[in-house]
Amino acid sequence: MDKIIARKRWFFLFSLLITIPGLLFTLATPFSNGTIGLKFSIDYTGGTIWEFRPESPADPLVVQEAVASAGHEEAVVTEAGTGFLIVRTKPLDLQVGQDQIDNAGAELQSIREAVVAAIGPIAEEGSVSTVGPVISQDLTQQALLLVVLGSIGILLWMTYRFRNLRFGLAALAALLHDVIVTIGFFAIAGTVADIEIDALFVTAMLTIIGFSVHDTIVVFDRIRENLVRHAGAPFGDIVNHSIVQTLGRSFNTTATVLMTLLTLLVFAGGSIRTFVLTLFIGILSGTYSSIFNASPLLVWWEERAQARKAAAARTRTA
Amino acid sequence: MRKFTPYLILATALLALAIDLLPNLRLPASGTAGGTRPIETKLGLDLRGGLRVEYQVQPVDGVSATAADLATIRDIIERRVNSTGVAEPLVQTQGTDRIVVELPGVTNPDSIRALLGTTGRLDLVPLPREVYGFFNTATGQPTDGVKPVPGEGETLSDTSLEPLFSGDQIESSAVQIDESGRRVVSFKLKSEGAELFATWTKANIGSYFAIVLDGAVKSAPYIQSAITGGEAQISGPGASGFAVDEAANLVTILKFGSLPFPIAEIGVTDVKATLGAAFLGQALFAGAVGILLVFLFMLMHYRLAGAVANVALVFYVIIVLAIFRLVPVTLTLAGIAGFVLSIGMAVDANILIFERTKEELRIGKGIGPAVEAGFSRAWNSILDSNVSSLITAFILFYFGSSTIKGFALVLIIGVLCSLFTAVTVTRLILRAVIARKGFSSPYLYGVAKGDLDAPERGVSNG
Repeated sequence: MDKIIARKRWFFLFSLLITIPGLLFTLATPFSNGTIGLKFSIDYTGGTIWEFRPESPADPLVVQEAVASAGHEEAVVTEAGTGFLIVRTKPLDLQVGQDQIDNAGAELQSIREAVVAAIGPIAEEGSVSTVGPVISQDLTQQALLLVVLGSIGILLWMTYRFRNLRFGLAALAALLHDVIVTIGFFAIAGTVADIEIDALFVTAMLTIIGFSVHDTIVVFDRIRENLVRHAGAPFGDIVNHSIVQTLGRSFNTTATVLMTLLTLLVFAGGSIRTFVLTLFIGILSGTYSSIFNASPLLVWWEERAQARKAAAARTRTA
Repeated sequence: MRKFTPYLILATALLALAIDLLPNLRLPASGTAGGTRPIETKLGLDLRGGLRVEYQVQPVDGVSATAADLATIRDIIERRVNSTGVAEPLVQTQGTDRIVVELPGVTNPDSIRALLGTTGRLDLVPLPREVYGFFNTATGQPTDGVKPVPGEGETLSDTSLEPLFSGDQIESSAVQIDESGRRVVSFKLKSEGAELFATWTKANIGSYFAIVLDGAVKSAPYIQSAITGGEAQISGPGASGFAVDEAANLVTILKFGSLPFPIAEIGVTDVKATLGAAFLGQALFAGAVGILLVFLFMLMHYRLAGAVANVALVFYVIIVLAIFRLVPVTLTLAGIAGFVLSIGMAVDANILIFERTKEELRIGKGIGPAVEAGFSRAWNSILDSNVSSLITAFILFYFGSSTIKGFALVLIIGVLCSLFTAVTVTRLILRAVIARKGFSSPYLYGVAKGDLDAPERGVSNG
């Protein structure tokens, strides 16, 4: 415990190890034609998702063929568990003008008929959701803007409260670490397990940005206090001492939040599973980066500044 | 002032509890319509099931819709929605060219989409006097026909009736006050319509004609005199003419019976009600388990102080739910997740305070000063953390789409309330508790027995 700062290089190395693979997967997304990297839901790509439960269990591939025969060769059919099948196609039935009156729901109806012809009657229909290209375009632009704005907001607030740009930048580095870890996690999960990110992913990102600095703030606050109380002691020792003093509350505050997220992850279903998982990963990473990245970064910075000062002093005396 | 704080907090709690639990409370409704709205927990479509359609208004010949056009389109769509009889519909404008329609619990999404998306058709249909009777302008008495004159909202059952002309012949329409001080609706016709109207009115003084929007009669006045100039007035039924909103309604119909701009569907979601109910049940159960775990955690770690924090947490839940009902906040699945998350965050301030108190106790302070120091020294961190959360929540609220806004609002309300409950309420109860005999042992505040005499580790001791 006395050597968190002394071992800061190891912690930086560990951070690199958990960020770089995810980062590689993320960066591969635009070049791999959807095989590697983030999997985007229809919120981003546009498309229709239709869920239904056939009366007798059916092979998704058979259903996919039936949908293709109805003119939707792009369709992908997967199992959702609990007997439901999920059909994904390009956007269906987004109609303009007179077509809205004449053909409302017609495309889905033709798919439905083809499916019934192939596998028999449908017992129950779940939700149908269609996102057109206009919305998906909006969302992608908005996502980047929100993350940038959130980061700038936190940077400014931390710099203002601690009257020191280094504190602001160290907090920013820690939260970018969390953003990268979280996106990377989903780039890998998307590749390995086809987990898709949806419109709520950005919301989770911003929540993580706002929350991941909580632990950073607690440590920084203590560093500020100890700088006054132990004036003259080496900066590294003060930071290490501050981290150790606040370790208990960092763990406990994170524990209560992760506990509530875990119950949601276990018991709640539907569209928020990925959302809750995103928060969970981000907040976990936030606690790590607050303790083992943000504060050591301050020390590294201070030591470099001092080394430079010493070097300058040596040249003067020489 | 300090003396009254306990009573104020107690009163707040009771009021919030009343709002949470009493059914049938009402609040004055916002908007010009007046009236009241019920205080209730509003659930989003993903939890109650229903149809959500997002429209984009399309430009015509390179001309885009103005904000006023968008509001008009919204009004027209809202009227169409109301004609379906769906309970609690929501029609909102969003951004510069979007209209979002939310209809809880609909079972026939396709036919409703067909109705909403139509650009609309307004017809002016003469009603033959042999069938519908006429109004004798000389005697001032109506003469009944074999069928009654259709009233507002009725459909014209006689499909053989041909419209004289359509809404596209109406140039403008306005509310006016005539010479005798009655409120009337005037409209002006384009040349083709004016000619047709002149010819027909000359031959049919006293006959009724129906203003029909999408097949439903909106008004059926009779012809008082030949209208040759293309400008006509419709007088209302009462002595003072139309009521204000009646007249405004009729003007909107005449002017905009058809949408001024076509609209295109850009997103549609249809959630089955059973599915929504299942999600709601799961989320509530998860929330309950989450709260219980946090309760146990606080009790185990901070003992008596943890119990006090739990009381404050109950207080937090009561108040936040009351605010959700008052605002009202529409709770979606993501919103409930936000609420459950906020419970985990609400005790964070307490953890910071109690950890600090433990530290002060370990260095030998008495329980009173230790608690006070715990509150004052932890305050900076608590404030800074909560402001960070508020910054990102406000960004989400300002820029996000409606689902995201809902989540952000839950977070904002949660953070603000937790500042109050975790700090003010906890401090108040804790002060009262430590003042009693037998409640001053550091053990009760989470300090381990052997820990008391341990010297402070750290820099100064090497």
